[in-house]
Amino acid sequence: MRRLALLAAAATTYVLAAWMVAPGFYDGFGPPQPYNWTCPPAQAGANTKPGPGHVDIKVVGGISDAASAYDRDGQIVIGFLPGAFDATGKTVVSVDVTPLPTCPQPPGIQFVTNIYQITASAPLVKSSDLVLRYSTLEPAPSDIYFASDPAGPWKGLGIAQQSQPFTVVASAKQLGYFAAGYPSASPPPGTPTVGGGSQTLPIIVAVLIVLVVLAGIPLAILRRRQSRGDVEEDGDV
Amino acid sequence: MNLVLQRTHPAVRATLVGAYVLCVEWARVSIQAQPGLAIAALVIGGVALGAVALGTPADRLGLGTSRIAFRLLGGLALGAVLLLPAAARSSAVPILPAGLAVAAIAVSIGEELAFRGALYAALDELGGAPLAIGGSTVVWTAAHALSHPPAFLGAVAAAGLLLALWRWACRDLVAPIIGHVIADLAL
Repeated sequence: MRRLALLAAAATTYVLAAWMVAPGFYDGFGPPQPYNWTCPPAQAGANTKPGPGHVDIKVVGGISDAASAYDRDGQIVIGFLPGAFDATGKTVVSVDVTPLPTCPQPPGIQFVTNIYQITASAPLVKSSDLVLRYSTLEPAPSDIYFASDPAGPWKGLGIAQQSQPFTVVASAKQLGYFAAGYPSASPPPGTPTVGGGSQTLPIIVAVLIVLVVLAGIPLAILRRRQSRGDVEEDGDV
Repeated sequence: MNLVLQRTHPAVRATLVGAYVLCVEWARVSIQAQPGLAIAALVIGGVALGAVALGTPADRLGLGTSRIAFRLLGGLALGAVLLLPAAARSSAVPILPAGLAVAAIAVSIGEELAFRGALYAALDELGGAPLAIGGSTVVWTAAHALSHPPAFLGAVAAAGLLLALWRWACRDLVAPIIGHVIADLAL
């Protein structure tokens, strides 16, 4: 009985502790920090607007240094190799990363991230790796899209091998607008997903509880009968 | 190596097992952050964690097929409790890509074999149940210090305590493994 009480107390403590941080218990597969949305989906809850980023890249001997530019929230990162810019006559190349304040959804594409604009004070001449983090609330994107204008047209850049969970990587040959998503005509990529979905998890937990209750009652009766049988057998002896 | 471990003093064994699982967990988290290595790090880390239980008799790890219905049911119940806060808060429900499922299963089983299995058994032999429950929970929490922000460590510690208490109360590791796998697959 004491053991049962301790277990119940531990379960209650866990639920209270996990309630204070979302999502509670997890093993580090998903990013713990929430995604900062320009246009949050309905299930996102409290939201902080994404912020811009800026970097000044030094130019030494006409060659721009290796550097990374990223937004304030670490949701987009672009890495530049040495000499990535045509920096003729410059001492510094300024790069700005700005989340688009609106959320256009071009026909045929479902974006699952914010749209970011990346600009530089010199033309990009070498391909640069672009990493976009996406929210745990959305299906995994199948492509990173690029456009010179947010009105389109949007072109898929493809994605390289996944580097980290909940990130996608592509190679950018020019700067402009970037967002991750999938063709809206097709079902969301990544399906079948494991668990997840704002409706799926409550259903999983409900099923688990029903299973435990339904299977637990006969199991408890069976154990009680067995223990009674043992007592009677002991009595006979 | 494990056979040699079994013959050492319980204090030495507990220290070595604790240091080993901490090193594996911290290395896993560090490698996981490298481009393209996340799934491999999770799977290899899970196997490396599970390896520490090799050589320890199954009954000392809490493994077995006796009372299997009770153990399976306990696993489902633990899974439900671990997922309850996230299920009640629909805004925080992530979607785990299918490619990570195998990795999630490997690391969940490995962690249970290491923390509530080998480490718990070594600490139990050294100082009994209180040390086994407390010690395995502390090492479990420390092992997650690199992968989780400080705000999450309270929930991590509480989960470790719950799983360790089950291990003690029911002398069972099957249910913590099942519960942990369910929670990791869903989150």
